[in-house]
Amino acid sequence: MRYDPPLHKTQGLAAIMIALAALLIYPLIFEATYFRHVIILAFVFAIVATSWDFSLGYGGLFNFSHVALFAVGIYTYAILAKTLGVPPWLAIVAGGGTAALVALLISIPVLRLDGIYVILVTIAFSQLIYFVVISWSSVTGGTSGMVTLPTLTIGEYRLSRDGRIGYYYVGLALLAANLLFLYLVTRSRLGRAAVALKDNKYYAIARGISEARTRSQTLMASAVFTGIAGAYYAAYLRVASPDAFGLGFLTLLLSILLVGGTGTIWGPVIAAFSISVLSEWLSGFGAWQNIVIAAAIILIVVFYPGGLWAAVQELREAVDTTRTAALARWRRGRQKAAREELTGAAERILTTAHGRIAVADTGDSEKPALLFLHGNSACKEAFYKQFRSLSDTHRIIAFDLPGHGVSDNGDPEITYNIAVYAEIAEAVLADCGVRRLGVFGWSLGGYVALELAARGNVEVTALAITGTSPLAVVPEDFGHGYNPNSHLVLAGKQYFSREETRNYANSATAPISQDSAFLHSNLKRTDGRARLYMITKLNVIDWPRQMRMLSDGKIPFAILNGSDDPFLNHAYIARLNYGNIWRGGPQDIPGGRHAPFFNKPDEFNLALYAFLSDAEKMSADTERQTAAGRTTTQ
Amino acid sequence: MDPETALAIFKGGIVLGALYALMATGLSLVWTTLGIFNFAHGAFIALGAYVAWQFSSSDAMALPILPAVFFTCFVMFAVGGIIYFLLVKPFERRADVVLIAVITTLAGSAIIENGLLLIWGPRAKQIQPFLSGELELAGIRLAMSEILLLCLVLIILLGIGLFLRYTRPGRAMRAVAQNRESAQLLGLDVPRLYAIAFGLSALTAGLAGSFVGTIRFMNPAMGAEPLMKALIVVIFGGVARFSSPIYAAFVIGLLEAFSIYAFGLYWAPAVLFFTMIVVLLVKPEGLFGRYQRTL
Repeated sequence: MRYDPPLHKTQGLAAIMIALAALLIYPLIFEATYFRHVIILAFVFAIVATSWDFSLGYGGLFNFSHVALFAVGIYTYAILAKTLGVPPWLAIVAGGGTAALVALLISIPVLRLDGIYVILVTIAFSQLIYFVVISWSSVTGGTSGMVTLPTLTIGEYRLSRDGRIGYYYVGLALLAANLLFLYLVTRSRLGRAAVALKDNKYYAIARGISEARTRSQTLMASAVFTGIAGAYYAAYLRVASPDAFGLGFLTLLLSILLVGGTGTIWGPVIAAFSISVLSEWLSGFGAWQNIVIAAAIILIVVFYPGGLWAAVQELREAVDTTRTAALARWRRGRQKAAREELTGAAERILTTAHGRIAVADTGDSEKPALLFLHGNSACKEAFYKQFRSLSDTHRIIAFDLPGHGVSDNGDPEITYNIAVYAEIAEAVLADCGVRRLGVFGWSLGGYVALELAARGNVEVTALAITGTSPLAVVPEDFGHGYNPNSHLVLAGKQYFSREETRNYANSATAPISQDSAFLHSNLKRTDGRARLYMITKLNVIDWPRQMRMLSDGKIPFAILNGSDDPFLNHAYIARLNYGNIWRGGPQDIPGGRHAPFFNKPDEFNLALYAFLSDAEKMSADTERQTAAGRTTTQ
Repeated sequence: MDPETALAIFKGGIVLGALYALMATGLSLVWTTLGIFNFAHGAFIALGAYVAWQFSSSDAMALPILPAVFFTCFVMFAVGGIIYFLLVKPFERRADVVLIAVITTLAGSAIIENGLLLIWGPRAKQIQPFLSGELELAGIRLAMSEILLLCLVLIILLGIGLFLRYTRPGRAMRAVAQNRESAQLLGLDVPRLYAIAFGLSALTAGLAGSFVGTIRFMNPAMGAEPLMKALIVVIFGGVARFSSPIYAAFVIGLLEAFSIYAFGLYWAPAVLFFTMIVVLLVKPEGLFGRYQRTL
């Protein structure tokens, strides 16, 4: 399940609004008419390329007659507005209609074909339209095209006056409408069906998606604004010429699409402006202009296969990573005293194979050791209430996972997954000189705890988890073990908007208060890649091994969930097969939420303490039995 | 239609078909081996024409015709190989290689065309015809250049056919086309074979170009129309086998000749495309094709 929030819930809307405002203000500040012309053309290219992206990038249909649909819009306007005298504005709308009709026609031969054959047939179709236009010269003007088409007017005002300012705003409005349309369509049933057909055709068909209908609707949806853009283009240049069918135009649009990045919608918009401006900037160099642009396109396709959109994403990720790393470094230096005061344990920095890891350790090697593993986007101080109340009887160790708290950010491909987290836990324990211990894991840390125990490199005498659903089959059980309507979907999202930060922190830790403020501030520091990669690399773990370990029951095991945990499916957790679970089943802390140790610390600490002492007794019993067994065999 | 007209149209169709076959061979060779469409094929044709002009024209190097054609072939073969390594090889293993190859070869064709413009300038040129005069055979008048074209096409097609059947690299190319992974496991140098296929394709394009250069005026964008014609031929014939576009070329040549007679010069291409779409609707794999590609 991919989390796909609407624009207003991400930072996307802000960026779009800024870009829109800049484009709205631009002509009021700069008067240069020629550059305005370049931007108007960029509007048109952006509309055509993004529409094409819908059928090609989302639908996976290699529709090479898309440019012909644009030309259909041009000629519709020319014929309706000039020959038949239809009002120009109506002719522009009609351009979209005829283009959609032609797209429907094109879709008929395409329905039965796949892959390269779609390219061939659509090229053939666009050539057919081209030759019809060329041949039918009494209507279309043949090779010489049609000139002096009627211009657009509002009342008496011609849009071309005042340095084409009217055309500029109409073009901008069309682009905005087109983007809104595509945004809605891609999120609609049709858009999702198109993507499903592209990703896994037979599965999609088996789930009841009609391939033929989806294909023809996809093509028609991509045609509407293409045709309108064509009509607008004709009204703007006042010329309809068969050049629109040519290879040059196809190359330009295809390069906008690929340089921008297919399947992104926004990428081609960026590319349309970049390529138009670049091409304008190079226009003084004659033949070199095309050579440089073509070479640039090849280089981008080689080095940035995802296009400019991928470059934008990488830039965003680089900025975010630098920011979180700087925040971690700053906090590591300045706030150490505050953290040590909170936990009452000394903090030290341990250098591991996966970067520097911050460890808090109360350090009494006489007492039994207890390791605390924190959850997604949290930090080791989340357990400060346990540090305070359990350190009398136990040696308490906790550390910040990579990308969290004041530990370093890791290499996303290597570090950010549960297996490596367990490895780091082993390294921390080795550094503390602990080989025998109790482990408590919270949420993501719960999986790390299970994995650590299942690996068996350290001797786990007691294992407790909270806010974690043990999984056997991933990702299917993920859907069973958790409530899919909760904010848990955010757990794998790289960037949080302000609202998402609040939602996630409220659900995952505790509603914001003076006490929990430091936990909330951790979300801003957490490396977004840690969330994303942790989720995408869930299957590096041998999940059934964890399940076998639990059903074998060799390790005393407890589940201490909050009764009001918003994420968990309690029924699923209760249903699983545990060999040796404390008090016969999952124990709910009344009123506890996803972090019961934080918002119901007293009840939680009591339960944990009771479990630990029972586990100690149990392991003492087992030891005695083993010893007895050994004696009898002797 | 009296028999004499029919015969004349038939002759026209065959000559046209031979020209189309020459243009399409290279395209289908690359498609059958690499599984991509080379949109720079038109630019190859234009480049071949200019290179041939450079070697043969009295304004340039003024070589006799045979060495000029030979050198053109050599240059074009090298260009084809280089273009393969620059434009296709980097993406070969990507899932969307078909689409990527379309854009890189289109970009490559823009670079070649503008390069031609920079080097040789926009003035139209023409290569002196290799042979002139006419011949009358059983009541049909054939220009010597037409006879040359027919012979040339026969020789090239036969040559490539024999190369693919009986030579070691030719057989290796077929093996790679049929099953790339197995061929690679057997130790065939796949990129080199692909480069050879591309080179051969460029070579035939160069020959087509130097021939077109003798009958039409040359300009850097002269490749666009042959490219479209070659595409039609390949689509029409199907892309299953190296040989199927060749038959298709003649079918199209005849169809075009007859529809020009029946519907007039302007409507002939539309008729052609319409027929093609009908063919594809009924038999999507093309007139002579099977749904799988093999050399």
